[in-house]
Amino acid sequence: MIGLAGATLVACADKSIPPRQLAGADPARGLALIEAEGCAACHAIPGVKWPRGAVGGSLAGFAGQSTLGGRFPNRPDTLAAWLRDAPAMAQDTAMPASGLTESQARDVAAYLYTLDAD
Amino acid sequence: MQTDAPPAHDSFKGWPPPAMDPAGPFAAPLNSLTWGLLAVVATVLAVVVVALAIALFAPRAWRRRLGGERLVWVAGVAFPVVVLSALLAWGLSLTHRMSEPPRPGEERIRVTGEMWWWRVAYLDAGGAEAFQDANEIHIPTGRPVALELESTDVIHSLWIPRLNGKLDMIPGRRNILRVQADKPGEYGAQCAEFCGGPHALMALVVVAHAPADYEAWKARQAAPAAPSPNQAAGKAVFDRAGCGACHAIRGTDANGLAGPDLTHVGARRTLGAGVLPNNAGTMAGWIGDSQAIKPGNRMPAYPVLKGRELREVATYLEGLK
Amino acid sequence: MSGPPEASETGFDTALYDRFPTKGRRPAGELAELERIWCAPRRWEWITVINNNYVGVYYVGAAMLFFVLAGVLALLMRAQLALPYNGVLPQETYNQVFTMHGTVMMFLFAVPAVEALGVLLLPQMLGARDLPFPRLSAYAFWAYLIGGLAFFCSLFFGLAPNGGWFMYPPLTSTTYSPGINADFWLLGIGFIEISAIAGAIEIIVGVLKTRAPGMSLDKLPIFAWAMLVFAGMIIIAFPSVILATTLLELERALGWPFFDAARGGDPMLWQHLFWFFGHPEVYIIFLPAAGAMSTIVPAVARTPLVGHWLVVLAFLATGFISFGVWAHHMFTTGMPGVSIGLFSAASMAVSLPAGVQVFAWIATVASGRMRFNTPGLFVLGSLLVFVMGGLTGVMAAMVPFDWQAHDTYFIVAHLHYVLIGGMVFPLFAAIYYWTPMSSARPLSERLGRWVFWLMFAGMHLAFLPMHLVGLMGMPRRIYTYAGGRDWEWPNLISTLGAFVFAAGVLIWIIDMIRNFRPFGPKDAGNVYEGGGLEWLPTGLYSTRSIPIVRSLYPLWDQKNLGRDVAAGRYFLPGTPTGGRETLVTSPINAEPQHLLPMPVPSGWHVWAAVFTAGFFLLLTVQAYVASVASGMLAIACVLRWCWFLDHPQKQRTVDVGAGIELSTYATGPSSTGWWAMVTTLVVGGMVLAMSVFSYVFLWSRNMEAWRPPPGTGSLAAAGAMTLAAGVLAWLANHRLVRDARHGPWQAVAMILLSGALLAAAFAVDLTAWRGGGLAAKLSAQGAIVYSILSWQGFFVAVSAIMALYVLLRGLFGYVAADRPATVQLVGLFLGYTAGQGLVGLGLMRLFPAGLS
Repeated sequence: MIGLAGATLVACADKSIPPRQLAGADPARGLALIEAEGCAACHAIPGVKWPRGAVGGSLAGFAGQSTLGGRFPNRPDTLAAWLRDAPAMAQDTAMPASGLTESQARDVAAYLYTLDAD
Repeated sequence: MQTDAPPAHDSFKGWPPPAMDPAGPFAAPLNSLTWGLLAVVATVLAVVVVALAIALFAPRAWRRRLGGERLVWVAGVAFPVVVLSALLAWGLSLTHRMSEPPRPGEERIRVTGEMWWWRVAYLDAGGAEAFQDANEIHIPTGRPVALELESTDVIHSLWIPRLNGKLDMIPGRRNILRVQADKPGEYGAQCAEFCGGPHALMALVVVAHAPADYEAWKARQAAPAAPSPNQAAGKAVFDRAGCGACHAIRGTDANGLAGPDLTHVGARRTLGAGVLPNNAGTMAGWIGDSQAIKPGNRMPAYPVLKGRELREVATYLEGLK
Repeated sequence: MSGPPEASETGFDTALYDRFPTKGRRPAGELAELERIWCAPRRWEWITVINNNYVGVYYVGAAMLFFVLAGVLALLMRAQLALPYNGVLPQETYNQVFTMHGTVMMFLFAVPAVEALGVLLLPQMLGARDLPFPRLSAYAFWAYLIGGLAFFCSLFFGLAPNGGWFMYPPLTSTTYSPGINADFWLLGIGFIEISAIAGAIEIIVGVLKTRAPGMSLDKLPIFAWAMLVFAGMIIIAFPSVILATTLLELERALGWPFFDAARGGDPMLWQHLFWFFGHPEVYIIFLPAAGAMSTIVPAVARTPLVGHWLVVLAFLATGFISFGVWAHHMFTTGMPGVSIGLFSAASMAVSLPAGVQVFAWIATVASGRMRFNTPGLFVLGSLLVFVMGGLTGVMAAMVPFDWQAHDTYFIVAHLHYVLIGGMVFPLFAAIYYWTPMSSARPLSERLGRWVFWLMFAGMHLAFLPMHLVGLMGMPRRIYTYAGGRDWEWPNLISTLGAFVFAAGVLIWIIDMIRNFRPFGPKDAGNVYEGGGLEWLPTGLYSTRSIPIVRSLYPLWDQKNLGRDVAAGRYFLPGTPTGGRETLVTSPINAEPQHLLPMPVPSGWHVWAAVFTAGFFLLLTVQAYVASVASGMLAIACVLRWCWFLDHPQKQRTVDVGAGIELSTYATGPSSTGWWAMVTTLVVGGMVLAMSVFSYVFLWSRNMEAWRPPPGTGSLAAAGAMTLAAGVLAWLANHRLVRDARHGPWQAVAMILLSGALLAAAFAVDLTAWRGGGLAAKLSAQGAIVYSILSWQGFFVAVSAIMALYVLLRGLFGYVAADRPATVQLVGLFLGYTAGQGLVGLGLMRLFPAGLS
């Protein structure tokens, strides 16, 4: 199931303009991590049906966003760092530091970059 | 695009069917009975189908044999009386152990159904409450544990299919459900009686420990909370926002009784009664707007908390291991 | 078959039957007169029509409308559950939808559908021109349709009930269900209680009193047996839910704590009351369908039913045992082991009569030659599906297994197998089988096969996987579920099956639109070659003449019956009184007793239904003044409709055929009115009995807190007055009074005095309790005491209205020695009210205080 979903995701990603490639990262693994961590407790995330948390913003169309956290450039390395320890970058954010490793954070980032506006 | 990946926190497995996958001596005979019943039911169904097939399609001579009142007496009266009596005797032999009061020295845990979570109180030898926990029941392996089932609001029903059948939690009454797990592990459970609103999201997990581990776990839980000093900011938010009006954290000023005891909330496996994994992120999401996650639950959303406050209070609570 | 019974039941000389069929031509114009009197409605008269040929079709149609509506709700639910964490229906909507699906299917489809089948078929099967109280069935129909639609519409405003179809308190108390959603449920059930009980009275009196001459109980069609037991079960079971819903509404509206544990109530009381009704309800639904099966199987297999008497006994046994199984819905509530054993044994025993019927059908199929037409397919499908549901029922009756299966999808699967196999498929068989009786065209055999196979395949696809997913841990009534538990595939298949089933129903609707042509001058006739009287040639007056029945299958065994009946060679070939009428016969041997004049259409019952609906609806939205006004108007309409009853005909006796003279007026046990009143009072008595149970039950939960009753002075006064009221009610009917010179005025005076005494006794009792300081809101004892007092107060109020009605009739000169029926029926009611008052007094004043 996961593999199938992953294959579809990759196919989708291939079709769009590849703005932000993360070498070796796997969006399917990223989605599984998102589920396991419960990121959807705060964010509505396309691909996760439930929950659809309302505290953080919706991540639909995240790939098309130019900034993240309101002021940082939406780039793979920034995003991966943000996912691991957001408070270190922005003191006032609600988003706590996660227990993700560097490669896990890159997987999650890869998934988030599959979220086009359509 | 979506995923069917199992959430890591979900200890409830659908396969093998938990009602037929016993993990202790209370569930095991129910499983044997289930298989026995399935065999009987399949046999009777086969008899009916064969009789009907003969009645419809067989040559006239065969059909004539079936086409009289004798068939009704033999297959419709005598045969069921014998089968049903045998089944009844077997079934009733398993029901006698209902509702026995707790025995001296037996481990007693009071589980109270609340809309829509579980209050779990561990009782000492005298039957007094030693400490409270929520949404998880920890038991020692290898011996029966008496769960005293109560409710303070509406009727709920506790169902831990791998450990025993279900039993209702009824306001004004107390039911005793005995469970025993032979091996350490996690056993999924949930509310089985419709209790309104988010009844579908009222799960819990039973954690069985080896006896020594169980005692150690109990000792940790019985101790008051030990917040780390660098979480003072989070604790301050907790106090300022009035969380202590509903939640107790033993060892601090928070002593509310309406919601789950949070003394060791960081050590739990799930948040929101078995619906979310438990970490600082999900905690922040739950506190900020639990209504978006579990509509109708009794905890209001807290949009007044600023981002940083939300993070701090979530991190503080997660630190309560 | 056997000749007329040897000993006469009523003194009627059964040798007179030999005069039929009569010889010679019937007078010209006789048939035209029948047709004129039973003419079809014109323009707007289709609303006020009361002929069962119309009302029966409306009734079945309305029931099927609710079947489709509740089916659409099922599709919505299946769409939501097709995938984990699906977003088709939000949580609150889903909770309303599943509650409405169950409630509408059980109360607005299943019970009315089988009752409607009875209204449509029974007069034809029994050889009656119509049911004995056609206006009552029409009233029941309109109350049901208006109330049912209003109830269903609550869904569109988000006001539908959301506590599950059995509405367990305390979830449904005002604390946890503060909106008016739960009140809508109680309202919807209120309607169905009224219409079900009205229909049951109609059916009991119809089956016992309006059969064709010679149709003794041993020749009573099997469907009529089923309907008789069905109606009897309604009379016994529905009072329990009437009481339960009343108590819950009292708790919700006035705060009387019947079910509130904090004030001495007990939520288990609801479960006992609800399931004492709720489980027999399943058999109430099943029995008429089984009766239809036992009629259709012999017809399509072209041979008499094997084991006819065993099947009749099975009906009676089902009716009896089903009242001993209610607690099997409560095996997980922690009941004591002894009661568990008893209820488990009874739950298994109730499967015996079902087994008898199944094998009787198989034996019938074996002894005949089955035809695989659409009704044939549906009865075979029904048999298989019902057996499967019955077997899982036996599993669930095993208490330890039920601990696992209870409240899971295993039970959802079980109950749908039982209800679809035991009721829906037989109903479709019945619709296909009997449509040619009501419609100018039969339904299509070609489409019918599609309907059957789609429904049969769809139901297995939908419900077979549910057994498994239940054991896999999926509980009932969850609006969503997590992925990763392997529940995805079974749920997806179930959803697919539900839509396949729906496709079958859709094709049936198309078939109905294309071919169903009711109310025409001619019907399609006996397409399936059945043997019952309903296949005689008929018009709106039913059969031209009412035959003498000498066989269980008169059309198979009595030569030329159809021809002679249509030629008017039997009873009642014309209209001797010049109005609508039918024969009343004796309950056992069906010997002719008298001629019953029947009402003609009028709008009063429709207005009564509208205002009854208004009363309940306005009550629900808390418009109390308007509600009471509407209720008064409803009562006024009912009284207006009664006003022209009890009018003697000009001719005291008439020739009902072949020179046999029968009376045109009847009183006492030979009259239909007496039977209807007694049946109604049985309903009242059952409510009282369930109240006594509730009182003792609540006492057993609060023994220490039970307060002593008020002093014995008020007891003696109230008791003496009630007793006197009862004696007066009895005396008013006594022969000596009736035949005395000023008898009618003495009777009126006695009725008035009896009513006044009842009111005075009630006032004394109520005052004593109020003075004693017991408050209804503060304790369960207060709640139950005041609810029993209220029940008595309700009867006293009705008694008062009746007494004033008798006075009014007296003033108009309508109370006379030759028309004692009104006084007699009112006397019965007052006498019952007095008896009920004495029981109430004895219970609440002497129990438990009198024990010590």
